[in-house]
Amino acid sequence: MNVRVFDSWRNQPLKGVLYECRELLEDIDYPSVRRWRQHGGKVVGHFQVYFPEEIVHAAGMLPFKIRGAPLESIQADSRFGSYLCSILKTSLELALSERIDLDMFVTHPICDAARNLAAVWGRNFTYPCQILYLPQNANSKHSVQYLRDEYDRLKRMVEEIAGHTISDEALRRSIAVFNENRALLHEMYAIKREMPWLISTYESYLLMAVGGMIPREEHNALLRHVLPMIRIRTAKRQDRIRVVFEGGFCEQPPLDLLLMVSQSCYVVDDDLMIGLRWIQDDIPLEGDPLYNLANAYLENSTYSPVQHDLRKPKEKMLLERMKGSGAEAAIITAAKMCEPGLEEQVAYTYALDEYGTPYFVSEFEENMTSFDHLEIQLETFVENILFA
Amino acid sequence: MIKTVDPEIVGRGNREGAQLFRRWFAELDGAALNGGQAAYVFVMGSLAEILRVFDLPMVFPEINSLQTAIRRVAHEYLNEAEDYGYSPDICGYVKADVALQLRGGDHPMGHVPKPTLAVLTNACNTYIKWAEIWERMYKIPVFTLDIPGTRSAGGQTWAGDRDFENDRRYVVAQLKELISLCEEVTGRRFDVDRFREVLKQTSRMNQGWKRVLELNKNQPSLFNAVTDGTVYLGVANGFRGTAEGSQYFEQLVEEMEYKAANHIGTLTEEKYRLIFVGVPCYPIFRRFNEMFTEWGGTFLTSTYLLFASGGTNYGFEYDLSRPLDSLAEGLLISVRNAMDNMFYQDQTLIEMIDDYAIDGIVYHPIKSCRTVSTGLADNRRAVMAARDVASLFIESDMMDRRVVSEAQLKNRIDAFFEGLASRKQRQSELTT
Amino acid sequence: MAYAAGVDVGSTQTKAVIINEEARITGRSLIDTGANVVLAAENAYFEALKDAGVREEEIEYVIGTGYGRYRVTFGNTQVTEISCHARGAVHMFANTRTVLDMGGQDTKAIQINQEGEIVDFCMNDKCAAGTGRFLGAASSALDIPLDDLGDTALLSERPVRISTTCTVFAESEVLSWLGKGKKIEDILMGVHQSIAKRSIGLMRRVGIEHEVTFTGGVAKNSGMIYALEDNLGLVLNVSEESHYMGALGAALFALDHIQASRIPTADSTEVVRSHGT
Repeated sequence: MNVRVFDSWRNQPLKGVLYECRELLEDIDYPSVRRWRQHGGKVVGHFQVYFPEEIVHAAGMLPFKIRGAPLESIQADSRFGSYLCSILKTSLELALSERIDLDMFVTHPICDAARNLAAVWGRNFTYPCQILYLPQNANSKHSVQYLRDEYDRLKRMVEEIAGHTISDEALRRSIAVFNENRALLHEMYAIKREMPWLISTYESYLLMAVGGMIPREEHNALLRHVLPMIRIRTAKRQDRIRVVFEGGFCEQPPLDLLLMVSQSCYVVDDDLMIGLRWIQDDIPLEGDPLYNLANAYLENSTYSPVQHDLRKPKEKMLLERMKGSGAEAAIITAAKMCEPGLEEQVAYTYALDEYGTPYFVSEFEENMTSFDHLEIQLETFVENILFA
Repeated sequence: MIKTVDPEIVGRGNREGAQLFRRWFAELDGAALNGGQAAYVFVMGSLAEILRVFDLPMVFPEINSLQTAIRRVAHEYLNEAEDYGYSPDICGYVKADVALQLRGGDHPMGHVPKPTLAVLTNACNTYIKWAEIWERMYKIPVFTLDIPGTRSAGGQTWAGDRDFENDRRYVVAQLKELISLCEEVTGRRFDVDRFREVLKQTSRMNQGWKRVLELNKNQPSLFNAVTDGTVYLGVANGFRGTAEGSQYFEQLVEEMEYKAANHIGTLTEEKYRLIFVGVPCYPIFRRFNEMFTEWGGTFLTSTYLLFASGGTNYGFEYDLSRPLDSLAEGLLISVRNAMDNMFYQDQTLIEMIDDYAIDGIVYHPIKSCRTVSTGLADNRRAVMAARDVASLFIESDMMDRRVVSEAQLKNRIDAFFEGLASRKQRQSELTT
Repeated sequence: MAYAAGVDVGSTQTKAVIINEEARITGRSLIDTGANVVLAAENAYFEALKDAGVREEEIEYVIGTGYGRYRVTFGNTQVTEISCHARGAVHMFANTRTVLDMGGQDTKAIQINQEGEIVDFCMNDKCAAGTGRFLGAASSALDIPLDDLGDTALLSERPVRISTTCTVFAESEVLSWLGKGKKIEDILMGVHQSIAKRSIGLMRRVGIEHEVTFTGGVAKNSGMIYALEDNLGLVLNVSEESHYMGALGAALFALDHIQASRIPTADSTEVVRSHGT
């Protein structure tokens, strides 16, 4: 489909692009998705953390990453009990309040709360709602083959919705588009690591997160437009500590929290929207595309508290991330009620203690509006390191 | 109508269950003191079918944890784990076990051996995080047997379906890897004849458990699904794959059939037949049940007995001529069944209402367990829309006394029964 | 003439109601519960008797309700306040389908069917947000009497948005808005809106169906009625007796018992429904 759903950033300077991105991210009427629909396009909503968007893209549909929303869950609240993360509720609210209209919804077994989502969503809507069973035994020799077959199952489902088959060629073309997207995102993160004064984590977040709600080709165009501008930015290097921000793999911290953190430190690496950057290197275009996608998920990927892989113990991966980005401290957060996040905090903090690395532990909720407490604590933490 | 009640048979299941339990724990205590090997496993897919072949003593941390709550010492363990750094908001079972490990296995029922190996399925994602804790603590091999579950409501696939066979191939490959791991850890060879024997016993137990659950449709009901059910579950998990375990269930069937024939129920007067959905409130286990029985309410069945038995209620029968393929199939169906009874259980509940002549459903979501609790409110809406039956929604926890308020629970339970009484009154007025 | 009595022992206040055979209220009382719950129940009862001009011997049946229902030592039996509020609401407004009871410490939402029976209920008694307690916090922070809060809030033209969900922190948020120069009425309406929204969230769990009856002590608060109606898009039933609804319901159940015991073959221990008003 040849429609552009997000145009307002074009020909704008960096500041203007950032402004438009923020507007889009905060617009709870999801105009980009609406426009896609208005032109007759179909939408497949997928939940955190990682989803093989190429498969939906190859069918000519829009893969829409559902990651909570800055909404009050008026209707969704009554469908869930207490002691639950916010992202589940606000995500369902999006759909219940008819702000987004999907043709299919997919969730993943990232945690026990999310696994219930397909059932709850499915009871409330008539379109297909299912779980894509990404493997939790990443260490079996059969995992890649299993995932390839699971992707095939998904592909058949997507074909039914699209009303036509997806050829291997179409898949390869989509993989190429997403390879470019990932390469551009990795490039942006390389700038963050090497010259963090050129782009704050708040800014890189805005530029990255819009990708989940617009066609990838448009996102690629946007990133190609801004990356050169970022490189030539005249920004002075400041005396800020270099940190890694950990805990934004699923429920996202509020934009203003990221802004606040950006003002105190240089966040040189993070796991924010990690699903968009899950795959590290380009996925090969030759051979069986589904197999290549499956293989990449398992063999060519980064890490997260919701993927279990004996080769990638989380604390080891965190230390590597810190080393690779030259970070001197870590901000270890978790969304409130996020079981995997909260459990990982313990492992991370013990490992960091062993290495004598300073860290700051906190919790957030996607729609919190006051950060005073957090700000004071973070500033104190930063001061302690600077004066040490 | 009872002439003479055979004291041998009635209550035998509870008595022998308690004995078997004590024996099992004594063996574990021995293994702990001798530094023997032990496998840490979970109720939703314990893989006893493989582990028994290697004579590996099996430890169920979930059961250890709930025992601390029943014995009223859970708060000490939870506090210790929280001091160590674990959030109040995560699963109480995990935290009690962390404290148990920090105490070197010191448990109110004896000593729990350290793990040599941990085997889990993905039926609960918290299992995965839990095992990572042992991996770090003890540097032991951890095996995650990934069992792909139902993809969407009503979308269960079966042997012969393309997608089922894809899943089965994955499970078979993993089972082979598990067997290699066990050979390495124990130094013993995998004996396929022994394997067939274990499968045979498991099949017997599956059949027995299924029958026991069905028998409780009787009027009056024959056992309390929550209080008695927990005892039976303990044996179903701890003795899976053994001759004693299967014999226990065959005898349990006999006991229930006897009770049915002699109209021996659980209460002096069974007024209200109820379903319990969720995990029991272990911190006030007896009292919780009393708050219902005081009103003449008893639990006939529970989704707990289904998912916490790893779906063995399904009654899968293994085909011994192709044991590994059959085990894979059985696991796919049974463990999937366990997961379905937590996520997609509306249809199961609707059938139970009809089959067991149910007056009310008690939903008990708990703070600790998102697997079981997340979808209950929505599930309840669906069931209430399909059947005209009373329901109660009460939240507490299965481990953490701090969020269990007896007064608040009683208030809601009393209101529920006041409503039920009123409903029954009106129904009898309509028929007179 | 026979009389029935209901005594509602709440954690902050105890209410008693006396009704006659025709289910008309002839006496009522309201006192602070204090530390001695048993005494509070007795005192409320005796004051209601005085108010009704009725002697103790004329009361044929007494039912205790509220958290302290088992401490109504002179009561014949107990019924939960959930059942009593529902009963009282339906008695006052026969087409009630949803009841919102907002007390000093807890809030309940009750769904009622055509037969006047409870279908579902949901309570918030773990957290004071969404209860009268939130108003109490605002009252002390702004130094305005509780009874004046509603009327003051109604003067608001631009309510602020209160974002804290915790009653303990609400006080500091109220003070912080004052510090930013916001008008008292705007802050107060914000507080009322916040409570209304939380209560409506509770109501959604049981399903909101017209007619909605608002009961409990907070139902006297005009600002709360406004905030609820504004957010619900519905007009609420509010009775003059809203504070006594629980005790009234208990008295009505007591009257059932009296009437049942007059029918020769009825089992007097069963809760018999009376559809009369």
